[in-house]
Amino acid sequence: MKKMSLSSMAIHAVMLLLAVSWLYPYIWMVLSSLKDTADIYSTGLFEGPFSFDNYIFLFDGSERVERPFLRTLFNSFFISITVTLSVTISSAFIGYALAKMKFRGQGLFKNFLIIQMVFPAFMFIIPQFLLIREFNLINTYSALIIPFLMSGWGIFMVSQSFKGTPNDYIHAAKLDHANMWKILVHVMMPLNKSILAIVALFTFTGVWDNFLWPLIVMQEVEKMPLSVLLANFSKSYGVYVGPVLAGSVVQTLPIVVLFIAFRKYFLQGMSLSLK
Amino acid sequence: MIKGLNIKESAQGGLIASTYLGYSLVFWIFPFVWLLILTFSDWQFIGTPSFSGLDNFFNVIQDPLFWKSMKNVFRFLMYYLPMVIFASLFFALGLKKIKYGKSFIALSFLLANVSSGVAYSIVFSKLFSDTGPINDFMNSVFGFTIPWFTNPDFAMFSIAIVITWKFVGYYGLIFYSGLVSIPKEIYDAAELDQTGPVKRLFKITLPLMNAQIIMVVVLAITVAFGIFTEPYLITGGGPLESTTTPMVVMYEAAFQRMEPSWAATMSIFVAIISFTLIWVLRKLFEKNIEIV
Repeated sequence: MKKMSLSSMAIHAVMLLLAVSWLYPYIWMVLSSLKDTADIYSTGLFEGPFSFDNYIFLFDGSERVERPFLRTLFNSFFISITVTLSVTISSAFIGYALAKMKFRGQGLFKNFLIIQMVFPAFMFIIPQFLLIREFNLINTYSALIIPFLMSGWGIFMVSQSFKGTPNDYIHAAKLDHANMWKILVHVMMPLNKSILAIVALFTFTGVWDNFLWPLIVMQEVEKMPLSVLLANFSKSYGVYVGPVLAGSVVQTLPIVVLFIAFRKYFLQGMSLSLK
Repeated sequence: MIKGLNIKESAQGGLIASTYLGYSLVFWIFPFVWLLILTFSDWQFIGTPSFSGLDNFFNVIQDPLFWKSMKNVFRFLMYYLPMVIFASLFFALGLKKIKYGKSFIALSFLLANVSSGVAYSIVFSKLFSDTGPINDFMNSVFGFTIPWFTNPDFAMFSIAIVITWKFVGYYGLIFYSGLVSIPKEIYDAAELDQTGPVKRLFKITLPLMNAQIIMVVVLAITVAFGIFTEPYLITGGGPLESTTTPMVVMYEAAFQRMEPSWAATMSIFVAIISFTLIWVLRKLFEKNIEIV
């Protein structure tokens, strides 16, 4: 019995050590972003002095090198939140129509969604760029938002979940003369909170993290998302390791906070469980 | 009355669904048609595309850069597949034995999966740089350093390490879900037959996890053909084009060399090759396993 717990303790120790080493890039990034560039490679991990100078430079002084970090941070939030709201709401409506209403061509519509998901996104990047150029939308916020306003994946996920909600709820609401909007907001959405959270969270992190598309359609620093400005800053001012790492922390922080706060939904969305 | 309602509802449902069809027509079907036009024409972003038959297909097939990038994908998979599958299995098997702090450990690994590509690419390029902490550690313990991203023989391996770091949590939890669904009775029976732990792993656990292993391999191949941010930011595709992935080649062809029709044709080749690879692997290794 005693031997068992010893080997179990060893496994716990090894797994904990591995978990910490998986976090190591994060820990190193955060601690180094608080150090002077000259000290980052020459001091131990937990050796100071620590200060917020790199962050102050990033948000206050970087205008001088034409890198408006604060502005691009707002851009990233603006773009990601707009797309997330649009995708979540449109997926709820269209998902409801697909799951609970009958219309002609319903089966075809569903097959179309599945076909769309099979084609890899990289095939569409060049022709979509041409489309955006045709609309004269290069270097506008619209170029970063409009191509992502609706999502076949979102509609599919929501409709699969809505199907599981018993029709009795909808009939009851109809007897009370509820229109479609009311049924969605008061019945379907509260009963299917987790799928909507999953669609919203994965859409937000996807847009926040998107790099290739904004790299192609956005050359104006004022309208860039943070990801592109940070990459651009790192390429031309890579020797300023401190500020570059501070920028990486700012770029990572929102999704890490979302992940920790809504880890339950993230796990569900990846169809994983920890039981 | 009821019938009238149904017609109204059908019209409403069709109307809502057609908003998405309209949107897809502009942002999916129209680009798709353009993709096909591009592949059969010669065009450099200006003027009208002129029909060029199958020229683009031959140009892509004859271009050493295309083959180089394909070779790089397979080199990447050679490092990545064994590394990530072994690490994820180890993680899943370990996690099953954990009683305390299970969610902390699992979430520490998963955190890597939701991190931002630009940010971690920057962090890893600093961590593995010639004077970075990893080489510092190597130097003080083993007395030598490794040119992780600056040597053509190492660079793709190092990128595989970064992407392994990112995906072990995700793939590991997929394995874990397969692992916990294996009935305990099978192991009890094996114990009665005095089957050793190694034999149990290879004769029971791994065969029963066929579905999860195939799923991870398919996901890993999809990842391999889509890599862009890491080589673009860490190595720039170098040194000596040892890390130019198909995505980097297509990006540079379309937006720096101004050859969108060449790049569009290449994207079709890349899609076909990745689908074929996945299809062949599934045919060869996928088994229908039923636990009675």
